[in-house]
Amino acid sequence: MGSDEAYNFVFKVVLIGESGVGKSNLLSRFTKNEFNHDSRTTIGVEFSTRTIQLKSLIIKAQIWDTAGLERYRAITSAYYRGAVGALLVYDITKHLTYESVERWLKELYDHADPHIVVMLVGNKTDLGSERSVPTEDAKDFAEKNGLLFLETSALESTNVETAFQNVLGEIHRKVSSKEVTRGSISAVSLSSPVPRAAGDPEEKKPCCRNL
Amino acid sequence: MLSNWNKWMVKRHKKVRLRCQKGIPPSLRGRAWLYLSGGKVKREQNRGKFEELDSQAGDPKELDVIEKDLHRQFPFHEMFVSRGGHGQQDLFRVLKAYTLYRPEEGYCQAQAPIAAVLLMHMPAEDAFWGLVQICEKYLPGYYSAGLEAIQLDGEILYALTRRVSPLTYRHLEKHKIEAILYMTEWFMCAFSRTLPWASVLRVWDMFLCDGVKIIFRVGLVLLKCMLGTREKLKACQGQYETMELLRSIEPRYMQEGFLVREVLEVPVSERDIESEHHVQLKRWRKNHGELHWKSPPRMHGARAIMASEPPSRQDLRQNPTIIVESPLPPPQPTPQLQKGEKKAQLSHIPATGCTMANVTAAQLWATIVYFRMIFILLAFKTPYCLEQAHSQQHTLMHHCQVL
Repeated sequence: MGSDEAYNFVFKVVLIGESGVGKSNLLSRFTKNEFNHDSRTTIGVEFSTRTIQLKSLIIKAQIWDTAGLERYRAITSAYYRGAVGALLVYDITKHLTYESVERWLKELYDHADPHIVVMLVGNKTDLGSERSVPTEDAKDFAEKNGLLFLETSALESTNVETAFQNVLGEIHRKVSSKEVTRGSISAVSLSSPVPRAAGDPEEKKPCCRNL
Repeated sequence: MLSNWNKWMVKRHKKVRLRCQKGIPPSLRGRAWLYLSGGKVKREQNRGKFEELDSQAGDPKELDVIEKDLHRQFPFHEMFVSRGGHGQQDLFRVLKAYTLYRPEEGYCQAQAPIAAVLLMHMPAEDAFWGLVQICEKYLPGYYSAGLEAIQLDGEILYALTRRVSPLTYRHLEKHKIEAILYMTEWFMCAFSRTLPWASVLRVWDMFLCDGVKIIFRVGLVLLKCMLGTREKLKACQGQYETMELLRSIEPRYMQEGFLVREVLEVPVSERDIESEHHVQLKRWRKNHGELHWKSPPRMHGARAIMASEPPSRQDLRQNPTIIVESPLPPPQPTPQLQKGEKKAQLSHIPATGCTMANVTAAQLWATIVYFRMIFILLAFKTPYCLEQAHSQQHTLMHHCQVL
């Protein structure tokens, strides 16, 4: 899928969070612009890619969607390897899914790169009347823990694009600034085996501030 | 074959296996699966158990997860398409009953597709016992907390790949693609979400007869077909590309005729799996310590299961799936129809002890019931009973998958 396209960066991003919060639909909304009420449960892993343009750079996002059920955590660590970004998703109508955010965060930092960019995502804003997690609470939590934050609706396609773009932009900012040396994030590979986009192969271009 | 099951399994097991390899006729599949898996024996030996579990409330936490999953299994299948429809209801009953039957294990998401496939072929009680057998005899520990058994089988699959297709093995090794990344869904769902429907049924026929080695072999065939030649490997450099390839297996490799032929050719026996299991278990203990979850030993197929839980003649007797209540009381209490309540009384009556009058009454009654059944089937097309409806469903399902 698109492996012959030209791109400057490949970023691996994982979707994590409790079962049923809408991870798979966020993925399909972003990569295929599809939403399915009856999408199958994720067992093991699903993944998809999308190539986006950020300013003058072309970034290929490999997004890995994992199973949310507690039981699968034993095996999900394998999926985190090489991930440079994560969307930690909860359901704004189910407080329990928000309460487990801390556990997920710990899980993530235990297994993934310490410089990983994490965004807390409150999904299902289309069900606003059933909201049980106030935006402010989540926002505060995100700030305290140095996470990006957004509320989305995969159903109505609200903020999905922005969420992914912000994460990808932030990853790029980290990579191109001195914060992270290129070597320490293993999944960021300059697209050596494929033809580049004409012009700017270097990551030091003065672009991609935090969006 | 089903009416003399014990004899066939003990004396002519080869023939049974051959039948399963050729594909069980659709009209018999549900019953054959129940006999092969030992679910039939288990059900007879635990009469009333399912009803008892079915009537209990269940752990609300587990029920919440189960409910969330009901509409996410085979969402295109006629049986599971409507929310709250009978398919989803039965799925709920079976999964809930399992969490009550094994509260220490609870519910694992991959059990839902397994139960759903069974439900497409048999009523809820039978499907429940089928699920019990798969979770405890065929794939013990797969769905338990920690998922150690599936990780261990991932290692075994990886080691066997080395033997079956060294080229594939080297590629997976080079790109550090752990088996757990691609085989979890394959194995935990017994390929029910991976293969086209016709192949799922053929694989399950063989799997329930010969056990987990069939699952390993299918995995090995797919790996070999997708990653077995230099040209193919050249085209997929990298972990993601390889995963993508294993995610979108070419239909020709999954076509039932091809797949079954290939599976039968793979030189991997029960003994190979057991000895590799031994090696990997040793390694596991060295790296991770003792297993947290003590699973019962794995049974390699129908014969092993039968030997471990020997059935009595009574257990294997075929009972009508549907008993139609008549407004009139039956003319005579007949052994055929009163199996449940009269079991104790019947146990001391020799099989040939029925009087002529009794037999005739039974036959007459059976005929009435039979005609009533046909009438009801034609009127409502209850999917459990009408085998024709089953095959229609399968065809429909198959079309959906193709589409």
